Amino acid sequence: MVNLPVRLGSPAVAAPAGVPPVAPSRPLVEIEDLDFSYGVTPALKDITLGIEPRKVTALIGPSGCGKSTLLRCLNRMNDLIEGARITAGSIRIHGVDINQRDVDVIELRKRVGMVFQKSNPFPKSIRENIAYGLRLQGLRDRARLDEIVERSLRGAALWEEVKDRLGESALGLSGGQQQRLCIARTIAVEPEIILMDEPCSALDPVATAKIEELIQELRARYSIVIVTHNMQQAARCSDQTAFFYLGRLVEHAPTRDIFTNPANPQTEAYVSGRFG
Amino acid sequence: MTEPSPTSQPPDPAVFPVHKRRLRLLGLTVEDCIQAFFGGNAVISVVVLGLITFFLVREGAGFLGQNRGNLSIYRLAGLEYVDHLRRQAEDHTALTRYLSDLRLRSLNALTGPGGMELEAANARLAAFDAFASGFEDAADPLRGLVSELSEVAAAIKTRHLVIEDKKEERRQLLAERKLEEAAAVVIPEIDFAAELRPIRDSLPAYRVVNRDLAARLGTLLAALPRLAAPEFQPRVDRFIALARDFLAGFPAIERDLEAWDHTRPVSAGEAFPAFVFGRDWLTASFWQDWYGIVPLLTGSFLVALVALCLAVPLGVGAAVYVNQVASAREQRLIKPGIEFISAFPSVVLGFFGIAVLGQALRALSQQPWLAWMPGFPYSERLNILTAGCLLALIAVPTIFTLAEDALNNVPRALKEASLALGASRLQTTVRIVLPASLSGIISAVLLGLGRVIGETMVVLLCAGNRIAIPDFSQGLGFIVEPVHTMTGIIAQEMGEVVRGSIHYRALFMVGLVLFVLSLSINYSAQHIVRRYRLPSS
Ligand SMILES: Nc1ncnc2c1ncn2[C@@H]1O[C@H](COP(=O)(O)OP(=O)(O)O)[C@@H](O)[C@H]1O
Ligand SMILES: [Mg+2]
Repeated sequence: MVNLPVRLGSPAVAAPAGVPPVAPSRPLVEIEDLDFSYGVTPALKDITLGIEPRKVTALIGPSGCGKSTLLRCLNRMNDLIEGARITAGSIRIHGVDINQRDVDVIELRKRVGMVFQKSNPFPKSIRENIAYGLRLQGLRDRARLDEIVERSLRGAALWEEVKDRLGESALGLSGGQQQRLCIARTIAVEPEIILMDEPCSALDPVATAKIEELIQELRARYSIVIVTHNMQQAARCSDQTAFFYLGRLVEHAPTRDIFTNPANPQTEAYVSGRFG
Repeated sequence: MTEPSPTSQPPDPAVFPVHKRRLRLLGLTVEDCIQAFFGGNAVISVVVLGLITFFLVREGAGFLGQNRGNLSIYRLAGLEYVDHLRRQAEDHTALTRYLSDLRLRSLNALTGPGGMELEAANARLAAFDAFASGFEDAADPLRGLVSELSEVAAAIKTRHLVIEDKKEERRQLLAERKLEEAAAVVIPEIDFAAELRPIRDSLPAYRVVNRDLAARLGTLLAALPRLAAPEFQPRVDRFIALARDFLAGFPAIERDLEAWDHTRPVSAGEAFPAFVFGRDWLTASFWQDWYGIVPLLTGSFLVALVALCLAVPLGVGAAVYVNQVASAREQRLIKPGIEFISAFPSVVLGFFGIAVLGQALRALSQQPWLAWMPGFPYSERLNILTAGCLLALIAVPTIFTLAEDALNNVPRALKEASLALGASRLQTTVRIVLPASLSGIISAVLLGLGRVIGETMVVLLCAGNRIAIPDFSQGLGFIVEPVHTMTGIIAQEMGEVVRGSIHYRALFMVGLVLFVLSLSINYSAQHIVRRYRLPSS
């Protein structure tokens, strides 16, 4: 099985108390001159990209161009891969460089949630899947947990379908439901940014439509970065689109411009389906 | 299936050449041969397994009949009757041992630091000594009676065995069709009732002995001298309670003797429990052989328990470390290291146990600062602990490898999902990875248990080979007692027994028990894995 990482979300680090609110013009996430390599193999070169708050940013590009790698940099999931490291440049969220030594990855990951390509609910009950992140933070109060479980499931448009079977195993849900459960699980810990790595690539069109609808609802409260292979999806749900090719950022512009009036001929070729 | 062409001409193979063209050997294609080879191997292993099972069951089954005969003669020849008395005498001996233990403790207390001289202390205990020897001597008549009757019963049994031998001889002669010689073999009949008369007639004498004993012990107990040290009072009280229990049991013994009937048949239903619940394994004895598996089963079980108590934390802990924490370099170092342990031949481990570990553990147990450990200090070098430690070494690679596999089988996606929600590595391991791999880990432990239960050489060399149920009254102290095990006894005795004898068959029964045990352990391990396997991976 090819295990394509599907990541939803964007990394957001809460501004520490006392830091003035970011000026509206300043992007939430600022990626600057980023170089990244797996061991000796470079995967990203010279990426500079700003991600706006409360917007959906789509990352597109042919397979292997480094979209997932970039996404995983935003919540430092690449820390798990031996030899993988940022060789130059920086990523700042709310102005904080997330790769500094004193940054707590655990806090970072609470602020920057992630939804994977293949839905991966825990082999626990539906309720416990949602409560997991909260329990990690030491929340024990049953009533409060139930409240957040319900709110998160409603937020992921899953509540009506599962409200009578919260105690049942999450593995009994359909693929689309499982993916929405994963989204609910992510929003339960109240992230600021949600990274989604091809969240619909394993789903049928009906389930895909539901998730896209959900993304439209979530954009009001969260900043979303979504990797997708589906051009229509990028066109339908995103505000900004970034096109990557061979580890470089080729073009970043409002989605409409990318699809109707691309500045770069490679972008044009890709979005019109001539390669990739 | 193809429609016949309207012209009904045969199809031309050159136009659409899809027909099989294969090399054939004796009508078989190469593929058939390869298939037959693998299928044949599978069939052979199943057949061999079946044959072994059949052989074990057949050899073992004969045991039940033979043991029934063994128990019948025990009753017929009056051994059972005499054993009632013997048990009484032994209970009495146990009480006198309790007294001498008490005396030793008192003496130590009296002569301890700042205490009195040895002679003065002995003088202080003179009254107690008089009591103790009076107590001991009181049972002399009983012991005399026991040894007298023992001789009678043993003689009857010997005659019976001689006759059995003759019967066997005649059977063989008949089988060889030597009819005349067979007829010449004289087989005298034993009139058991008559032979047993001296034993039965001793009942009135026994009653007198018994009443006497009860009276003397009663008088002695009433005038039990006080021990100087008050801290021994609980022990004295305990002794009095034990002695009163002993006395209270007398009428029951008399009733048993009266009701005893040598003709009561030993049912087939008695031979099996005598094996499964029998607390004695006693062979080649002058008196009576017993084939009870309990001491061996307990021995195997206790050694395995100690081994698992050590091996499970080590094996599972190492697996968790290697799988969840270690860097790739550490993994490359630790994994082969642990797996390498299983390369030691177990006889080498056993030798190491005798020469090094047993010595070292005993020396350790004699350190004063370890005296709080149960059973420490001890003097038997070879015991449950020594064997258990070595068996742990044997179980660790099995448990480690299988547990590591189980941890590895937890989908990476689950781990990533947990980390992405803000879990630490430790939280992910404890809350996600371990629960998800629990069934695999349990089955790893079970397979480790199977490995340990079946291991022979180490226990034979290091468990101490004393056939006895350990004394659990001292709490955990039992772990430094020597035991014998099921595997050990088979290895030790199988070479010396006469083929077809009851002893030989008893060993097969032990083997059968071992086989069933291992089979069920392996089965449950597989069952657990299958039942709780993660649906996705
Ligand atoms: N764990 C890894 N180790 C080494 N190389 C990797 C790893 N993951 C991805 N790569 C390489 O990095 C490049 C970018 O991969 P990825 O970010 O997954 O691309 P995308 O998501 O755009 O298809 C590819 O060439 C891929 O082979
Ligand atoms: Mg990808």
